[in-house]
Amino acid sequence: MRFSRTDSSDQTVLRIEGVLDALTAPEVRPTIEALVAEQRRTIVVDVSSLRLIDSSGVGVIVSLAKRCRPFGGVVRVSGLKDQPLAIFKLLRLDRVFGS
Amino acid sequence: MGTPVIRLMVPSRLEYRDLAIRMVASACKLVPGSRGKFSIEVISAFGEALNNVVLHGYAPRTGDIEIEVELGDDRLTIRLMDYGKSLDLAAVPTPDLESLPESGLGVFIMRSFMDDVSYHAGAPNVLSMTKYFQPKTRENA
Repeated sequence: MRFSRTDSSDQTVLRIEGVLDALTAPEVRPTIEALVAEQRRTIVVDVSSLRLIDSSGVGVIVSLAKRCRPFGGVVRVSGLKDQPLAIFKLLRLDRVFGS
Repeated sequence: MGTPVIRLMVPSRLEYRDLAIRMVASACKLVPGSRGKFSIEVISAFGEALNNVVLHGYAPRTGDIEIEVELGDDRLTIRLMDYGKSLDLAAVPTPDLESLPESGLGVFIMRSFMDDVSYHAGAPNVLSMTKYFQPKTRENA
């Protein structure tokens, strides 16, 4: 799994590639903590190059969204397809994250 | 010739998750006429099952997980066998998706994507998950 963070004005794009699962999700946690601490207002999680996600990976994204809500932050997920899209649809998250 | 069975034994560590998933994904390719959806759902369910054994069955210690994939005429069955703590599958509640849960989704994914999920506690614990090639087949089973 690889991920990158790109900031521009109020928006942050968090691009996650490869596999976000129980093994790799902890690697993203510090970045999630930083985004929340900095109270980034708009966060786009770009998963267009994400091949596989499991419930642990979903938990990271949901956690980010819930923790941003108190300060008015919004998290959107873009580029959902294939297996990640199937998981998001099953968990009804595709509508929550506006994809 | 009997029903083909593919077997793999892996240590109960998340580092072996990718290897095990690749085996299951390869087995899905042997399903006649299977499309992406079948493979996606089987792989997703299997990944959650494997996580459960590693994180809840064995942790903090490690042990072996035996994986069997059986390719029947009309169904694919995956069995995970372990000697860790047993899971009370029936006691796992359905998550309230509206509350955006951050955990407790694994068994829900397994149940949603597979046609039959059963669990027998013991030595070994055996989790069995079946998916029919055609949903119609299940209705007639």
